[in-house]
Amino acid sequence: MPTTPQLGSPPDEQDKLLDEALGIVKMQAFQMKRCLDKGRLMDGLKHASTLLGELRTSMLSPKSYYELYMAVTDELRHLEIYLVDEFQKGRQVSDLYEMVQYAGSIVPRLYLLITVGLVYIKTKPSLSRDVLKDMVEMCRGVQHPLRGLFLRNYLLQCTRNILPDVADTEGSLESEESSTGGTVQDSIDFVLMNFAEMNKLWVRMQHQGHSRDRERREKERQDLRILVGTNLVRLSQLECIDLEKYIKTVLPSILEQVVSCRDAIAQEYLMECIIQVFPDEFHLSTLHSFLRACAELQPNVNVKNIIIALIDRLAAFTQRTKDEGGIISTDLQLFDIFSDQVALIIMSKPDIPSEDIVALQVSLINLANKCYPDKVHYVDKVLGKTTEIFNKFNLERIGQITPVGKELMKLLKIPVDNYDNVLTLLKLENYGNLLDFLDYDGRKALAMYLINNALENETQIGNPEQVDFMLGLISSLIQDQADQPTETPDPEDFAEEQSLLGRFLHLLVSEDPDEQYLILNTARRHLGAGGNRRIPFTLPPVVFAAYQLAFRYYSVKDQDDKWEKKCQKIFQFCHGTISALTKAELAELPLRLFLQGALAISRIPFENQETVAYEFMSQAFSLYEDEISDSKAQLAAITLIVATLEQIGCFGEENHDPLRTNCALAASKLLKKPDQSRAVGTCSHLFWSGKSVASGGEQIKDEKRVLDCLKKGLKIAANQCMDSMVQVQLFVELLNHYLYFKKKGNQLIEATLVNELVEKIKEELPNLENNEESQQISKHFTNTIDHVKSVASIEEHYKDIAV
Amino acid sequence: MATRKKVLLKVIILGDSGVGKTSLMNQYVNKKFSNQYKATIGADFLTKEVMVDDRIVTMQIWDTAGQERFQSLGVAFYRGADCCVLVFDVSAPNTFKSLDSWRDEFLIQASPRDPENFPFVLVGNKVDLDNRAVPQKRGQQWAQSKNNMPYFETSAKEGINVEQAFQTIAKNALAQETEVDIYNEFPDHITINNDTRNVRSDNCSC
Repeated sequence: MPTTPQLGSPPDEQDKLLDEALGIVKMQAFQMKRCLDKGRLMDGLKHASTLLGELRTSMLSPKSYYELYMAVTDELRHLEIYLVDEFQKGRQVSDLYEMVQYAGSIVPRLYLLITVGLVYIKTKPSLSRDVLKDMVEMCRGVQHPLRGLFLRNYLLQCTRNILPDVADTEGSLESEESSTGGTVQDSIDFVLMNFAEMNKLWVRMQHQGHSRDRERREKERQDLRILVGTNLVRLSQLECIDLEKYIKTVLPSILEQVVSCRDAIAQEYLMECIIQVFPDEFHLSTLHSFLRACAELQPNVNVKNIIIALIDRLAAFTQRTKDEGGIISTDLQLFDIFSDQVALIIMSKPDIPSEDIVALQVSLINLANKCYPDKVHYVDKVLGKTTEIFNKFNLERIGQITPVGKELMKLLKIPVDNYDNVLTLLKLENYGNLLDFLDYDGRKALAMYLINNALENETQIGNPEQVDFMLGLISSLIQDQADQPTETPDPEDFAEEQSLLGRFLHLLVSEDPDEQYLILNTARRHLGAGGNRRIPFTLPPVVFAAYQLAFRYYSVKDQDDKWEKKCQKIFQFCHGTISALTKAELAELPLRLFLQGALAISRIPFENQETVAYEFMSQAFSLYEDEISDSKAQLAAITLIVATLEQIGCFGEENHDPLRTNCALAASKLLKKPDQSRAVGTCSHLFWSGKSVASGGEQIKDEKRVLDCLKKGLKIAANQCMDSMVQVQLFVELLNHYLYFKKKGNQLIEATLVNELVEKIKEELPNLENNEESQQISKHFTNTIDHVKSVASIEEHYKDIAV
Repeated sequence: MATRKKVLLKVIILGDSGVGKTSLMNQYVNKKFSNQYKATIGADFLTKEVMVDDRIVTMQIWDTAGQERFQSLGVAFYRGADCCVLVFDVSAPNTFKSLDSWRDEFLIQASPRDPENFPFVLVGNKVDLDNRAVPQKRGQQWAQSKNNMPYFETSAKEGINVEQAFQTIAKNALAQETEVDIYNEFPDHITINNDTRNVRSDNCSC
C-alpha cells in the first residue's frame, strides 16, 4: 500500500517529466515494433513491459498521466494487432499467458495480461466469461488510486467490444451453449464490480495526504471522475439491458454504490452521470427510486443541480416526443412525482439555501410548462409551495439582486414568458402573494416586465375584474408603497416608468361600452391613489379613453336609448378626473384636458350638450385666470382656448358671446405687448370662422370685428412695441392674417391697407441688424410675397395688392 | 513502414452535443441505430477493419463528448489522429456555427505535423428530418473554404451516405498515415545508458 502518494509536481516540472516519459515510450515502442516485425515476440514483450513501466510514476498530475496513458495504450494496440495475428497462425494461448508473467512489476504485467486476455477472448469467445472475471479480479493488485483507476479504465476500454451482450434465457438449450461465453448478466457483473472498485479508489483519494492539499486533491478528483463514469457508459451501451433489467438490477446496484460511498464529489457526479448516459425512457420508469436516492445523499451534495438536470432532460424529451404522440401519458404523474420528491428533499435537508429551494421550484415550473402546458394549476401549485416555504422561513422584502431574489424573479417571469398572456396569471391564485415577497425594486421591475409583455403581445385587459387584478399586480408602479425609498426618484427614470404605465392603460379595452365604463372607473380608482407625482402620467389616458367611449355611445345611439344619459355621465366622470389633476396643483394639463373635452362634447349632440360644454370651457377659463401666471404659458393657453372655441358650434348666443368677448378681453390684457398683439390677432378668427347656434352652425363672418382685431393688433405692434425686430416680425405675422381674411372675402380688408403694411415692412426690414432672427423674418416676408405673386393671376381678392 | 501488413488508423469524431456522433459510429460499425438519446461522456473508440485500396486497415474510431464538461481529463486522445471528422446537425444551425471552433480546437490540441493539409471530413447529419435548416450549399461552401475538405450529408438513422463517408475518411486517413510514417517511425534519439531516473517516490511495488 502506498503511504503518502505524491500526486503531481509543479507544472513546468510536469512538462519535463511527461516529455521524458513520452520519449522513452516512443523509443521502446519503436524497438517493440521492430522486434515484432522480425517475429521476436519475447523481445517485443520486453520492450512493451519497459514502456509500460513508465505508467508506474507517481509524479504526474491526472492530466499529464492521461497523456502518457494515451501514448502508451496507442502503442499497445500495435502489440494487440500482432498478437491476434499470431493466434490466427496457431500460437498457443498458454504460451503467451506465461510470457507476460515475466514482467517484473505489477502495473506492466497487468496491462500486458489485459492485452493478452483481450486477444484471447477475441479468438476464443467461449472463454469470455471466465477471462473477464479473472481480469477484473486481478486488477485489485493495484491499489494506488491514480494507477489503479487508469489500469481499470484500460480494462474497460479493451473489453468494450467483447462484453457478452446476449439475453440470459434461463433453462433453454441455447443458454447452455452461450453460457460458456457468458450473457449480459456476466457483463453487468463485470462492469459493476469494476465500477465499485474504481469508485473506491477514487473516493479513497479524498482521504490521503495532507489536509492542506485538499483543494488540489479535489481538483484532481474532479479531473479523474470521467474514468469512473465510463463504467456507467459501458452499462448503458449493453443492448440487452432492457427496462426490466435496469429497474431490477442495474440501477439499484449503481445507486447502492453511490449512496453508500458517502462521498459528496462522487455522489454528485455519478448521479448526474446516470441522468446523462441512460435513456429517458429508463428515467421515466425509475423516478421514484432515483429521487429517493437523492434524498439520501450527503448533506453537502448539491441536490438541486441533480434534480434540475433530470427535470431539464425529461422536459426536453417530452417536447421532442410530443409530435409522436407523447410518451409521457396521463398515467405517469410526472409532475406530482417530482413535486412530492422535491418537497421531501427540501424537508430532509434543513441546511439547503433558500435560493436552491427556489431554483428547484423554477425547474418544477419548467417541467409543468413543458410537459403539461394546459395545466395551469400545476404552475399555481408550485407558486403556492414556494409561498408556503417563504412563510415558513419568514422571508420578506427579498431584494431582486440577492441569490434568492434572482431565483424568485426567474420563477415569476416564467409564467409570463410562457403564456405570453398576462391574463393567464389571473388563474394563478398564488402569483400575487408570491410577488409580494419581493422588495420595492423587485416588485417594480416585475411590474414593468408584465407591462412590457402585455404591450408586446397587445393583450387586451377586457373586464373590470381583470383590470382590478392587473392593476393590483403592478400596484408598485401605481401607488406609493410602504417600503419605497424616501428620496425622490430620478425624474427621467420616473417619467419613463410612468409613461410605460400610461401606454399600458390603453390596453384596458372592452368591446362592450358599458363594461368599458366600468373598466375606466376601476382604473380611475386605482390610479387616483397615485399621488401628485403619478397622476399627470396616469389620469390623462383615462380621460382620453373616456372621450373615446362617449364617441362610441354616440355611434351606437340607435341601439342604446340611454346613450345621452351615459354620455353625460362620462363627461361628469371626466370632469371629476380632470379636477383631481387641478387639485394636484396642476394647471396647464387640466386646462388642455378640459378644452379637449369641450371639443369632444361639441361633436356629440346629446341632451345637455351646451351646458356641459360651457362648463368645460369655463373651467378652462378659470384655470387660465387663476392658475397660469407665466406670460409665455398664458399666451399658449389663450391661443388654445381661442382655437378651441373657434371649433365649437354648439353654443347659443347667450353663451358664445361671453366666451368670445372674454377671449378678446384676455388677449388684450396680456402682460407683454407683443403677446397682446399676437393674441388679439388670433382672436380675429373667432369672429370669422367661429360658429354658434345663432349663426346656424355657419361661420359668423363678422367682417367688422375681424378688422377691429387686426387693427388693434397692428396698433399695439406699431405704437407700443419698442424692439424693432419684434415689431417687424409682428407686421409680417399680421400681414399674413390680413391676406388670409382678404382671400376669404372680407370686404373690409382693403388693398390699400395691405399695401401700406407691405411698404412699411419693406422700409423697416433693411434697418434691422443682420442676424439669424432678421434673416428668418425676411424669409417669412419674402415667402409671403412670393405666395401672393404666385396666386395673383387666379386669386381675384389679391388683384389690387401691389407686389 | 509500408511493408507492414496491418495499418492502424486513428479517426476522431467531433461536433456539438446531440448531432449524432455516436449514432454515426454505431451505424457504420454495428449497422445499428437507436432513437434513444444517451449522452457520451469522455471518449471511447470502436474499431473496424476495412479494405482501402486492397489493403486491410484497422480503423480506430474515437467517439467524443460534445459537451466540454464531460472531458474532465482533457483531449489527449486527439494526438496521433490520422483524420478528423467534423459533424453537425443539418436541422440545428448553431451546430453548424460551432464547426470553426471544433476545427481550431482540434488543430491546436492535436498539433499535427502539417496542419494546413491535415485531412478533415465534414458530415452534415440527420438529413432524414423534415426541418432542415442548413442548406446543402452552405455546408459545401464551408467545406470548400477549409482546404476543400470532403463533405457528406448523412442520416445515421436511415444509413444514408454513412458508408461512403467513412470510406473517404479511411482513404484520407491512410494517405495521412503513410506520410506520417516516414517521419515518425524513428524515435528522436536513442539513449544508450540505462534509465536512471527516479520513477517512483514511494516504495509501492505496483
